[in-house]
Amino acid sequence: MLEKGKISAAQIGKMMYLAVTPTAILSTPAISFKFAGQDLWISPLLAFSGVLVILIALGFHRLYPGLNYVQISDRVLGPVIGKTVGLALLFYYMYTTGIIIREYGDFVAGAFLPQTPLLVVTGSMVFLCALAVRGGVEIIARFADVFIPVFSLLFLLLTVPLLPELKITNMLPIMGEGIAPSLSGSFILQAWYSEFVLVSFFLPFAHNADQAKKTAGFSLLAVVLTLVASNLLTLLLLGNVTGNYTYPFLIVARYINLAEFFNHLESLFMVIWVVGAFVKICIFFYVTVLGTAQWMQLSDYRPIVFPLGFLLILMSIWVAPNLQYLSYALSTTANLSALTAFLIIPALLLLLGVIRKRMGSKA
Amino acid sequence: MKWAQVLGIVVLLLLMALFDWPKMSRNMKREKIAYASLAGMGAVLAVLLVYDPELPGPTQWLQVLYQPLVQIMEKLIVKGG
Repeated sequence: MLEKGKISAAQIGKMMYLAVTPTAILSTPAISFKFAGQDLWISPLLAFSGVLVILIALGFHRLYPGLNYVQISDRVLGPVIGKTVGLALLFYYMYTTGIIIREYGDFVAGAFLPQTPLLVVTGSMVFLCALAVRGGVEIIARFADVFIPVFSLLFLLLTVPLLPELKITNMLPIMGEGIAPSLSGSFILQAWYSEFVLVSFFLPFAHNADQAKKTAGFSLLAVVLTLVASNLLTLLLLGNVTGNYTYPFLIVARYINLAEFFNHLESLFMVIWVVGAFVKICIFFYVTVLGTAQWMQLSDYRPIVFPLGFLLILMSIWVAPNLQYLSYALSTTANLSALTAFLIIPALLLLLGVIRKRMGSKA
Repeated sequence: MKWAQVLGIVVLLLLMALFDWPKMSRNMKREKIAYASLAGMGAVLAVLLVYDPELPGPTQWLQVLYQPLVQIMEKLIVKGG
């Protein structure tokens, strides 16, 4: 066993929440507004892929306890095809981590540190995450433990002062054109929800994995509620101009002005973003490192953390030449490929695994 | 300026190796090979990106792969919305 750390099912739930929400809060209001208009708050409720991938991850755990799904592809498809699929999946995890790092860097450099080179922002974050990843799964889980209260408290601090400013009329008419626009808007979100498949990587380390069904479900519910809240808040405050901003939630945070005294609360949003992105990058980084070490059959994953971190920084530059291209790719190619890697391939693997087990038990 | 960036990459990779190498014991041959190949890949990619920042990346490869699906999706979504 590569990882000797033990975590709890509750920690898995918290990690998953922080692995999905941060980047989703940032960009989904604008993306779902583009498709769903004033119904953008309905889109996050249609979290089909999240439910599906949690069931898939639990199914893997029941079928092959102690293995994550990169190892399972090895077991189910045989050594040659399994290794190839595993390599493709690992490459895809690296790619996704690169995108997340790039989103983090673009936002920080674009909104707060315009004079700082992107490479300094992303490089320092990756270095920090590399140190956490070297600490192992227990350390990352504890970061999630510590940061969840900070994250929720700051989120409330940003939402509550705005409540008197909201215009309920902005959300009317509800479902004026039926459910179809909300469905279109939710299609992009499915890629975020499908990231819940990472549960599969952490279940083998949980000492009470039987609780994971409850905690992962609860975590998904929390993500859905957070996204509904942030989308609704953006809509009720900004109305029809929501779609004009790349980061509507930042505009919302800038709007807060309590008694002419509390201004510039967007720095709080910055804290939310850095804390959330840190845990999110750590989790994806850790999964990439662990998967690579398993794929290469190493005895320890610690030695390859820094070289992989270096590759991840390069990947974050390589994924897109500029921000416009990145956001276009996020709502088309990156979205479809994420669904393939996080939902369709795992589903097929589970199906094959079940068939193999059935055949095996009969023979 | 390009040579300075390449020099920076080499220095960074050397520092990394100096930090990690002594931590691996003598019989961790597999780990050393993995380390060297990952760092080597990083070095090659870094130098390529220094000389050609517009180097087509994985997003462009995926775009070629998913082009037909993206077109179907865009049609469906425009119809729906």
